[in-house]
Amino acid sequence: MSAVDYGREALDFIEGLEAYRRVPDAMNALEAAFGRFGFETIIVTGLPNPNQRFAQMVLAKRWPAEWFKLYTEKNYDRVDPVVRMCRRSINPFEWSEAPYDAELEPNAAEVMNRATDFRMSRGFIVPIHGLTGYEAAVSLGGVHLDLNPRSKPALHLMAMYGFDRIRRLLEPASNPSTQLTPREREVIGWAAQGKSAWEIGEILHITQRTAEEHLATAARKLGAVNRTHAVALAIRRKIISP
Amino acid sequence: MGVFMIHAISAANRHLYEDVIEQHFRLRHEIFVEERRWETLRKPDGREIDSYDNEDTVYLLALEDRRVVGGHRLYPTTKPSMMSEVFPHLASVRGCPADPLVWEWSRYFVVRDRRDGVLNLQLMAAVQEFCLDQGIAQVSAIMETWWLPRFHEAGFVVTPLGLPALVEDAWTMAATIDVRQETLDALHERVGMASVVRQDGPRIDAIARANSCGLVAAQRKIA
Repeated sequence: MSAVDYGREALDFIEGLEAYRRVPDAMNALEAAFGRFGFETIIVTGLPNPNQRFAQMVLAKRWPAEWFKLYTEKNYDRVDPVVRMCRRSINPFEWSEAPYDAELEPNAAEVMNRATDFRMSRGFIVPIHGLTGYEAAVSLGGVHLDLNPRSKPALHLMAMYGFDRIRRLLEPASNPSTQLTPREREVIGWAAQGKSAWEIGEILHITQRTAEEHLATAARKLGAVNRTHAVALAIRRKIISP
Repeated sequence: MGVFMIHAISAANRHLYEDVIEQHFRLRHEIFVEERRWETLRKPDGREIDSYDNEDTVYLLALEDRRVVGGHRLYPTTKPSMMSEVFPHLASVRGCPADPLVWEWSRYFVVRDRRDGVLNLQLMAAVQEFCLDQGIAQVSAIMETWWLPRFHEAGFVVTPLGLPALVEDAWTMAATIDVRQETLDALHERVGMASVVRQDGPRIDAIARANSCGLVAAQRKIA
């Protein structure tokens, strides 16, 4: 295909995405579109911070069940060189471009090798960096890929729009205040009283780290850029009283 | 922090802001040339000014008292624009807009010590608020592709005009962004302000201005 054909195909795909009202329908469309480039697997996922588990971060996937089981059981996300590079890169890249030292990092080598057992010997990943520190990615795998300097810009754009469509379809339509867990509301309430994460930890008999984690999750759910902003939003939405 | 607002500055009220405009040209040089290394923009006097800085440009500058902390500019697409003159290849699928209701949005910047804050959301609200008030329907932009998810997160409806390409080592794309009341409402709610744009002094009529630019361009073509 010429660059113009890739461009038309990508822009038509993007335009068509709005029509899908359910995640499985949108994923079918992604699977068909990326399939035309030879991709067989897709994952649309947030990247876990040290206190989160990979499995809860996944928005949607078309992965072999066995591979997902292995990947989560072995916590491969902690050693996967592709995940590591994704956090540091704003540009899309091929999995093979993610560096690791096979001697010093046998775990990294293991992830890459085991992936090939599930027809994921090659891949392309598009990192997503949100406004408030949210990190995510769309990662595509396969064996015989149409991956070249003309197809990559098309895949780049298609993946970013695919991510956005899935993200919006998963957004609860109801008031976002209902999304906060009781614990998150409690922690934000103490933060509004001027308590530090350490103090909140003492009060609630949880570690400082866990308190920070609840604060960070609550801030993310509220769409806040930091703790102070989260408190302000929580008060304004009457999630907590001032 | 003193009084914060994002000021709309055009030819109509520029006389009230000469010091601020000057400060912003120097900041642009610091950020786009010294920090981001866009060497083609380097100027011996340390003021980053290009051919889209003229009597038809509207600047939206975030001021804390009199200090510029961020901003961007708008330029009518009825005149030759950065997209049509420098980056037409980025809009090869859908073409560059040339319409009084579409203004080119460029030179988005935030000073270093404000990058983690709420200012990005306020700056995004400002472009929507100003354009909605003026009746501008869309803004066109040459943007770094990694910003696309950030615009999505802000509720912007972004339509690509072509595929991304590398510009000075950064993946860059051309797009239009819809000006929508619901986008603005969500941003106002998020930043906790009912309004972020302030217009002092005489006001510009952006659409009338764009129409007269279009007329001049058409006459030039006929001549």
